[in-house]
Amino acid sequence: MGCVSSKRFSRSAPAHEDPAVLASQTSFTVNEVEALYELYKKLSFSIVKDGLIHKEEFQLALFRNSKRANLFADRVFDLFDLKRNGVIDFEEFVRSLSVFHPKAHISEKTAFAFKLYDLRGTGYIEKEELRKMVLALLDESDLCLSDSTVETIVDNTFSQADSNGDGRIDPEEWEEFVKKNPATLRNMSLPYLQDITMSFPSFIMHSEASD
Amino acid sequence: MAENNNSRNIRGRVVQKGYKRPEFDEQYDTTLDDVDAVFNDSEEHHVTEKKEEEPVALNAFELISMSAGLNLGNLFDSEQEFKRETRFTSKCPPKEIVRKIEEAAKPLGFDVQKKNYKLRLEKVKAGRKGNLNVATEILQVAPSLHMVEVRKAKGDTLEFHKFYKNLSKTLKDIVWKSDDVQMQYAA
Repeated sequence: MGCVSSKRFSRSAPAHEDPAVLASQTSFTVNEVEALYELYKKLSFSIVKDGLIHKEEFQLALFRNSKRANLFADRVFDLFDLKRNGVIDFEEFVRSLSVFHPKAHISEKTAFAFKLYDLRGTGYIEKEELRKMVLALLDESDLCLSDSTVETIVDNTFSQADSNGDGRIDPEEWEEFVKKNPATLRNMSLPYLQDITMSFPSFIMHSEASD
Repeated sequence: MAENNNSRNIRGRVVQKGYKRPEFDEQYDTTLDDVDAVFNDSEEHHVTEKKEEEPVALNAFELISMSAGLNLGNLFDSEQEFKRETRFTSKCPPKEIVRKIEEAAKPLGFDVQKKNYKLRLEKVKAGRKGNLNVATEILQVAPSLHMVEVRKAKGDTLEFHKFYKNLSKTLKDIVWKSDDVQMQYAA
């Protein structure tokens, strides 16, 4: 256990990045954390060779284009950047991705999605925020809809979710809405995370951890 | 539930004299039972009325969740050679989309099962990992715009990818925008 479990960590991993610690506090197994490290290395050395994921490296990984600005990627990056220091380190990477593990509890996914969509961090999702996000999606997909159609889409969803009619969606209303519309959280689970150890076969030969 | 001579049951079928209808729950039509089993949709067992069903409407958050920026699976993309799911939008009426998919899938060697705006396509011939099974669903973005999701349900992902390339060639006319780069450049 501890740092002895993996040679590649014993040299440089501080305690808070120790795979065993991270595995015990997230939805990942030790092997999965170690496999994630392989991915993390790729991402964090892709442009700025400092072993930390910068925004442009994140954009490069998501869009194959380091310069592509995207409202939603910005939100994800900000939420992953738990320490709010402008970069994603390995611990933040693992802890945040843990929410997307199929085994993670639905309440974690629900809460994460709420924070994602609460653009201004007010603790509520306001109608303007929903409209802004719909427009951003349409723009990203190069889909053109009339203003009135966009309004209809926003209004329909908002009226379904805003059950107390105060013009904003609070966390309780969001929970209810998501229960009734589970497909809303579909992107909050990445089945691939359960297969991740199979994609890094060279890793399996080096690891001494077995779980 | 015993029928009278020449009476009409809820489906409007005339029942002949002397015919004794098997006793089963009126809600279940035998043909839909099989389709239901395939689709595993326990929440959709309702009496089918004459009212036309419409495609399920995507809510705004479901729409937003399709952003590339919110699909973190893309971080692992170089590890996953082929996608298991893709989608495109169409301005065609949904019934026509269903028809076109069916028309395109059958000559490719697929058995088609439909329920409302969901289709199950099963390759008759078994492939590398059994019979390729593809699920498609038509969803409403707006009355004039629909999204078609095509997802591999079972079978080999490479075979799914090949199938989708062929399908998209045939469906070229009804596709408006696609999230699959390869599809956009289909000859």
